Amino acid sequence: MSSQPHPLPMIGSEPDSVPASGGEPGPAGETRTAGADSNPIREALSEAIEKHKVILFMKGTPEAPACGFSARTVAMLQALDAPFAAVDILPDPRIRQELSAISDWPTIPQLFVGGELIGGCDIVTEMYESGELAQALL
Amino acid sequence: MSDAENIKQRIEAAIPGAHAEVEDYTGGGDHFRATVTAEAFAGLGRVAQHRLVYEILGAEIGGAIHALSLTTRTPSQTNSSQTN
Repeated sequence: MSSQPHPLPMIGSEPDSVPASGGEPGPAGETRTAGADSNPIREALSEAIEKHKVILFMKGTPEAPACGFSARTVAMLQALDAPFAAVDILPDPRIRQELSAISDWPTIPQLFVGGELIGGCDIVTEMYESGELAQALL
Repeated sequence: MSDAENIKQRIEAAIPGAHAEVEDYTGGGDHFRATVTAEAFAGLGRVAQHRLVYEILGAEIGGAIHALSLTTRTPSQTNSSQTN
């Protein structure tokens, strides 16, 4: 199988080591609470979502999923031979908090394609079965 | 009232005309499977449809409700495919 999952363990594990976003402004429409503390985790998440065409936020890793919904979502992506980046949200609870704040989506996993939330396991399953997922991943 | 019944009633109360089927699929009161059919979903993408339901349950999702497996449909879609 040529699709090698691409783990991103650095997000959130060491807030200080998250690379600064080289002076680039956030995406248009990104909301930020005025006066709120700067938020390296949220910035790193936004960057990762923009940078990777297909990125899955999950519990555990593609090799060792820690939740059945995450495992199923990984299996569907792998069945389509789709390369994807993956982020384990478990190491730091703030990752999940910030991710849900960005995506307005309460559950894990969350699949993003082209910077857009595609959905969680249920939607990915429906789209996999209908062939829409393969289309979206092209 | 079972938790599943409670979730069903809240969804149906919050989305006018919605029909919800909610199942506690582990029997543990924290993992649910729901199929919600509502005209209100028409014209919305799946993500927006699911958000409508998630908003009703708020912070319970990921809290008291560990998992909510969700299928959303409009009435005209109900005869189409059924997922497990």
